[in-house]
Amino acid sequence: MSFKRNVLLTATGLMLTLGVSITKLNAQESTENPIDTLARSVVKIQDDLAHLKKLKFSGYIQAQYQVADSIGAASYAGGNFPQYSDKRFAVRRGRLKAVYTGNWSQYVLQIDVTEKGVGIKDAYVKITDPWTKWVSLTAGVFNRPFGFEVEYSSSSRESPERGRMSQIIFPGERDLGAMITLQAPKTSPWNFLKADFAVINGTGGTASDFDFQKDIIARVRADKSSKNEKIKWGLGASYYDGGVRQGTSKVYTINADSAGLNAFKMNKDTANFGAMAKRQYVGVDGQVSIDFPFGITTLRGEYIQGQQPGTSTSTTSPSTQPGDVYVRNFNGAYFYFVQNIMQSKHAIVVKYDWYDPNTSISGDNIGAKILAFQGTTYKTTGTQDITYTTLGLGYIYKLDSNVKFTVYYDKVTNEKSINLGSSAYWKDLKDNVLTVRVQYKF
Amino acid sequence: MKTTTILLALTLYSSVNFAQKIKGSDTVLPLSQKEAESYMKSNKMAKITVTGGGSGVGFAALVDNTTDIAMSSRKIKMDEKIKLQEAGRAYKEITIAFDALSVIVNPENMVSQLTREQLDGIFTGKIKNWKEVGGRDMQIVVYSRESSSGTYEFFKEHVMNKKNYASSVLSLPATGAIVQSVSQTKGAIGYIGLAYMDKAVKALKVSYDNGKTYIAPSMETAKGKTYPIIRPLYYYYLSTIEKTVKPFIDYILSAEGQKIVEQVGYVPLK
Repeated sequence: MSFKRNVLLTATGLMLTLGVSITKLNAQESTENPIDTLARSVVKIQDDLAHLKKLKFSGYIQAQYQVADSIGAASYAGGNFPQYSDKRFAVRRGRLKAVYTGNWSQYVLQIDVTEKGVGIKDAYVKITDPWTKWVSLTAGVFNRPFGFEVEYSSSSRESPERGRMSQIIFPGERDLGAMITLQAPKTSPWNFLKADFAVINGTGGTASDFDFQKDIIARVRADKSSKNEKIKWGLGASYYDGGVRQGTSKVYTINADSAGLNAFKMNKDTANFGAMAKRQYVGVDGQVSIDFPFGITTLRGEYIQGQQPGTSTSTTSPSTQPGDVYVRNFNGAYFYFVQNIMQSKHAIVVKYDWYDPNTSISGDNIGAKILAFQGTTYKTTGTQDITYTTLGLGYIYKLDSNVKFTVYYDKVTNEKSINLGSSAYWKDLKDNVLTVRVQYKF
Repeated sequence: MKTTTILLALTLYSSVNFAQKIKGSDTVLPLSQKEAESYMKSNKMAKITVTGGGSGVGFAALVDNTTDIAMSSRKIKMDEKIKLQEAGRAYKEITIAFDALSVIVNPENMVSQLTREQLDGIFTGKIKNWKEVGGRDMQIVVYSRESSSGTYEFFKEHVMNKKNYASSVLSLPATGAIVQSVSQTKGAIGYIGLAYMDKAVKALKVSYDNGKTYIAPSMETAKGKTYPIIRPLYYYYLSTIEKTVKPFIDYILSAEGQKIVEQVGYVPLK
């Protein structure tokens, strides 16, 4: 299809060139060599083409049909299901990206168009120093340089969505800010190393900042292939240091009550109002792809732990000023196993991830009544503090370089507690999701 | 006028529609061109266009489906395999010839042989003057191919033991440009495929045993495998179009095709 289109375009271009050349030949045949005229036309077209090649468009659309285990299921497989439905069609992503590349600078604009509306995904300028080509500055809205999954394109990812933890601590993946990247040019032996240092609002996406403090992210990565070009590996370490402005004088942190049960202890102090609650993560990630005779095998993993300021009902990174702040220690991880079947168009994926939003409490202790100081300085934990694990199983069929089909099943398991307000959490929630997706990418 | 233009365009379109495109390594380029010319003479319906740019360019074109065959002077990289896999494209690799990678200097240069270690020193920037390797007091001007070139990577891996090229090395976009630059610069040194050897430049003898024996690049030393810097030249193509490209590849592998390999200056498979 693409080949025929290219051929057609080439033929049309040649036709126009020859048409122009022949016309010019008639007009100038007494004064100019026809070959020179043709050569001049070709040079002009080449110049125009070189200019046009600086601007590149790419994009993809992901259309999907999903079935959940229950009506109105809460889900991280593309968002919660409608209140009265367990099945839905959706355009999960509809991206159009324009990149204009100059000699040492780049303009990038990416929008996302779905049935929910139009949103800006990327809008940044990237400038590389023209002397050493080691240092780049990126400014605008761009992917937060933390870990692997956040930056890995949704069009290439084998699972329909990122892991639950990635979606909660980095919703929308992007943020507003500036970033310095250090990486040697491709001709250098140090090209396999990369370091990013970003200063961002911390509010996510294009949301305006609501506090005076900017957050920082630092990451180092190494990516290399073996000498025989059969193995490719990558390793990374990331650090996030930021904060969330406290909207009231009340801040809740985990402490043991008089009976030794961990719960949220309130700290009420006028000095808390407007002060910053710490937001701090550390993460390590690794990837390896091996070219086996039975196909390329890819393994990926990432572990993150840290401290997350949230609210009483949510651990998602706040994009607006929260009221009372609840500080939790969390951890989580994901692991991918992707097996391509020989060199065929078929691949299978197995993914496992977990997210423990509050590592200080687990099981039936979640939601357990506080024995001492109840209702005064302590508050019980709740459904937002339970751990989720997700096992994903998927099949991928790559029709060609443009079209990819994915059938994927998310088996979601939640931590159970008999002390949670809703009896639904006494057992596993019915929130597994089957996704059937077709993607067109260009 | 209009009729002529339309007829010309239709002729061009019909020709292009049945064309095979070959893209990639500049080292393999002269061989593919000669093979294609000869093949088209005996197969009037066949139309083959050959363009260079470097091995990396060929693989990128294979992923983008803008070429039928990628020419390469190196093995496919893991990154390129992954990209092909992501695009759902199965590929095949075939060795079509061997090349003796030749180190060249200006004919006026009195140096006629170097050890691997000396070459390593020159290309990494440790040796800067020809007098350090037995030549005149003259600054060494080092030319190399661009990083997208398979020859660039092969030389780095097999001659420089994967060390980095000196920052002073001048990168040129094509092998022909290296021949031209070395022929015009007295203190120059570069490397090219054997088929690009020209009287305007001088090939150096090379030693891989610390100076005990020096071997000149030639068809004989390459065939006898005494010349140390030998590499295979490859074609890569998508399995789905095997029927389309196989007749041409079979022609290259035939006795007639391998004769052309030798005529062009590369080393036949047998």
